[in-house]
Amino acid sequence: MGKNNLKICSDLEDIMPPEYRELVASATYGKENRGWKDIGSAKELIEEHSLCAGCPEAIAFRYVLASLPNPEDTVMVGSTGCTSLVFPHVAVHNIHSLFGNQNAVASGLKRALKLRFPDREKDVVVLAGDGATVDIGLDMTLQAWFRQEKFTTICFDNELYANTGGQESGLTQKGFVMKMAPQGKQFNKVRMPEIARESGCAYVAILTVSKPNLVERVLKNAVLIARTIGPTYIQIYTPCILEIGKQSMEGLQEMRDAEGPNDRFAFREFITDEAKAFLADMDEKKKAAAAAKIGTAAPAGVK
Amino acid sequence: MYAVAFVEDEKCIANKGCRLCILYCPEADTLKFDPVKKKAYVVESRCKGCELCVVVCNNAKHNAITMVMR
Repeated sequence: MGKNNLKICSDLEDIMPPEYRELVASATYGKENRGWKDIGSAKELIEEHSLCAGCPEAIAFRYVLASLPNPEDTVMVGSTGCTSLVFPHVAVHNIHSLFGNQNAVASGLKRALKLRFPDREKDVVVLAGDGATVDIGLDMTLQAWFRQEKFTTICFDNELYANTGGQESGLTQKGFVMKMAPQGKQFNKVRMPEIARESGCAYVAILTVSKPNLVERVLKNAVLIARTIGPTYIQIYTPCILEIGKQSMEGLQEMRDAEGPNDRFAFREFITDEAKAFLADMDEKKKAAAAAKIGTAAPAGVK
Repeated sequence: MYAVAFVEDEKCIANKGCRLCILYCPEADTLKFDPVKKKAYVVESRCKGCELCVVVCNNAKHNAITMVMR
């Protein structure tokens, strides 16, 4: 989709919904270096979702959508869960897959887009919960990584099945007591970042959404590396405040409490040497472009 | 009646570059920056009343946001 497709026929402009008009007027499609700094001043690509008041997943969605490097040429693949409540309100092309097969759908989609648009970069980003990624869809998730499919997988890890009443998932921490797991979980949290690294992901990161600039950096790295090198995986802590017994305003503190140096969501990233070289090269080019810009902007005679 | 957030212009320091409430609000396009007044404001029809903005504003000792009934 080119951003020109968004333009409204002037005869119909007055009957278009105000949210659509705002999207055309001030959304950041096609903007170079879009990111978290656009939040609050530009129209966001998410609108009046139905998540609970204070849900950290909603904050994560805002940052992820603000940070996508190329939203007009991105297709997101969602799966069953709280995230599937949000996708109908997102102004990026998206597909709702069956519970668990999101990485299989994304594999086919990425290959088809490559054939259909050989000259354009089309990004595919999978965004699913921990149940879809690690329990029900673990087979599809891993197989996509084994095959080195070039797309990004994002897991919104709330450490349980939230909208079915609080059952334990593979990513629940050991001993945690839930409404539908009254004895507490008997096993350890699955070490998904390490599994992703060993399964062939070129870039892996685990973080919370308490720092928007970190989310932007990680997401851009993951999407750009997935374009050229191989699969990438991001695991983001988005606690379900209802199911862990918190108030609506306590989500941010919960994330900050879980990201200390020895906590389970301490920021970690694994990058292959090839991906490291790619990022270093990208930085060099950016610096060179910025220097060239300054050089052309400076008045004649000034070095 | 619903509780929604309200930003007091006198206490809000968005004119000095603060964007805490705008960034941490879980709702999109709800806490926005007014480019004329240089202050944050709440789109009340979208606010779900979670009070997260009150927490981040108070933690930064600005105390500019309160909950009001509408």
